[in-house]
Amino acid sequence: MKTYLFAAGALLALGTNAALAHITLETQEAAVGSTYKAVLRVPHGCEGKATTAVRVQIPEGVISVKPMPKPGWTLQTKKGKYEKSYQLYGETLTTGVKEVDWSGGNLPDEFYDEFVFRASLAADLPAGQMLYFPVVQECGDAAARWIEIPAAGQDEDSLETPAPGIKLLPKK
Amino acid sequence: MNAIQPPSTIRRIGLLAWLLAAVMAIAVLALPGRAFAHAALVATDPSDGAVLAQSPKRFSITFSEPVSPLVLTLVRPDGSQLPLTFFRLNDQTVEIDNPETLRSGTHVLSWRVVSVDGHPVGGSALFSIGAPSAPPVVGQAVDWTLRAAIWVGKLFLYAGFFLGIGGAFSLAWLAEDRRLGQRFVATALLLGLVGAPLSLGLQGLDGLGAPLARFASPTVWKTALETSFVWTVLIGLIALGLALLSLAGPASLRKLLATLALLGAGAALAASGHASAAEPRWLTRPLVFLHGTAIAFWAGALAPLGLALRRQPSEAQLFLRRFSRAILPVVAVLAASGIVLAIIQVQQPAALIDTSYGRLLLVKLALLLFLFTLAAVNRWTLTKPAEAGDTEVQRRLARSIRIEVVIVLAIFGVAAGWRFTPPPRALAIAATQPVSIHIHTLQAMADLSITPGHAGQTAASMMIMTGDFGPLDAKQVTLVLSKPESGIEAIKRPAFKPGDGTWRVDNLVIPVPGRWNARLDILVSDFELVKIEAPIEIRAE
Repeated sequence: MKTYLFAAGALLALGTNAALAHITLETQEAAVGSTYKAVLRVPHGCEGKATTAVRVQIPEGVISVKPMPKPGWTLQTKKGKYEKSYQLYGETLTTGVKEVDWSGGNLPDEFYDEFVFRASLAADLPAGQMLYFPVVQECGDAAARWIEIPAAGQDEDSLETPAPGIKLLPKK
Repeated sequence: MNAIQPPSTIRRIGLLAWLLAAVMAIAVLALPGRAFAHAALVATDPSDGAVLAQSPKRFSITFSEPVSPLVLTLVRPDGSQLPLTFFRLNDQTVEIDNPETLRSGTHVLSWRVVSVDGHPVGGSALFSIGAPSAPPVVGQAVDWTLRAAIWVGKLFLYAGFFLGIGGAFSLAWLAEDRRLGQRFVATALLLGLVGAPLSLGLQGLDGLGAPLARFASPTVWKTALETSFVWTVLIGLIALGLALLSLAGPASLRKLLATLALLGAGAALAASGHASAAEPRWLTRPLVFLHGTAIAFWAGALAPLGLALRRQPSEAQLFLRRFSRAILPVVAVLAASGIVLAIIQVQQPAALIDTSYGRLLLVKLALLLFLFTLAAVNRWTLTKPAEAGDTEVQRRLARSIRIEVVIVLAIFGVAAGWRFTPPPRALAIAATQPVSIHIHTLQAMADLSITPGHAGQTAASMMIMTGDFGPLDAKQVTLVLSKPESGIEAIKRPAFKPGDGTWRVDNLVIPVPGRWNARLDILVSDFELVKIEAPIEIRAE
């Protein structure tokens, strides 16, 4: 029994560690049709190198994106057409932010930081499923790409560099 | 064969010419266009690496185009093989009935199919019932029946070329009384005429790895017609035909036809085979030609000469005198060309003992030594008194020649065995051959080659395309080789673009041979990564 508990504990610790080593979102679930404050947690650089840029791809259905500026980082967004139009507070949205870039900064490997943006989750996003925000972390010449999205039936834990994601909850 | 009637002979010549022309035309027409792509594996059910709860009722293999199966086998966990004979073709899918309830453990579903272009495609998928076990060792099963058939076909061909055509030549040029030995020569020629098409069909079977039962299948013959061996058979058939004509044809053409036939036999032998394929070909091909014609001259004369000495010793003297005058330069050419070819093929003296090719060569050399001793005794001690009319010596000479014929046949048998033993030269080349796989998924496909395809220092080359054969301008490609059960960490190496449209990984050291999993991480765009993977078999050497 003792060994079993120890093994379980070790597994749990390892599992948590693995999760901590990834770029993740602080709030891991949100209802569709709500406003979501995304806090990207960057726990380390790329294999020891300091992080110099963080870029997030905004998935379809995530609209009206507003990133939070960050002292010491240049904030840019890339806008583009949505695949379809969305209704938000009586307005019809067909274009918007598709990518958010924080660049020109310097976050050493041994420090931790967060990158924040706010967005609306469209009401017609499929509740019960995962929604992924692929992130590219740049460290000068090197890069770590947190862009892997599990295939249907694939275990997320088996991915080496999973994209941060949230679970979509039914509309409140 | 005995009655010589000029008008019918001329008609026969005409018929033969038309027949040959028809054979040539069919051969040319049957050579298929090479525009077809080879069939690529799309999916298997059970998929490679799958673990099933219970024995499946059927298996299926899907390709990128319709195929026809040659050999389907299931290897059980204990390594025993179960031939799968009941299958249906459903468009691009081969559906196979599983005849038995599989026990738990890892099985291998192995297939060999032909795609539309006649190119054989082989592969295998591992799956387990219950839980994985150590994968069974799939031995290279040797089809002994097919091998025996190929060997016999080759022997027939040699009999036709050397005893038949060579015999016709000696009857035309050396013999006094052409009737003696004519039946023997004609029989040998007929053996050759049977052996030539037989060998061609068997060559097709061998190329496809198909069993003897499929001898009549059109795919087999189509494959055979694509090999260089088809030239040996075509030229050989023409030469055999010419030799038959020289036996039965008009006296005025006899010597010409026999000479052409002899040259044809040499050319047929030079047209294909291990020795002719060796570099430098400008040297090996003429050498094989010389070697072949010299054998035909020597071996062909033995039987008619022996028969003449036994039956009509008094008339055989002129035959014997002509033969013994010509044989020395011929044997010199035979030995010289043989020695040079052997040096090219064997390369290193150690290979004489280390390889089966070398060992066959040693056996052949031993037989040759015996043959040369006999021939030398005949030439320098028996020939003179026999020519002078000593009947006792003539009888001894005839007996000795009979033994020579037997040894010659044994040598043909050994030489025919070379069909199955790649020469050391080719083994050295084979060791440097790459191992290649084709990975095909909906998002992307890749051709991966690892050169050389054995463990140790290698380089990998990758050709990346979209799933529907379009160009895929990847931003980054990473090769990941893993062998989880070996306890070796995955080898992860970024590829670079040498500028020829491929991706490369140089200085890739693969520590152990065996079945590795090759994965390509293809960065399609900044935020999109496609991972495709397939097993790849790394040779030991």
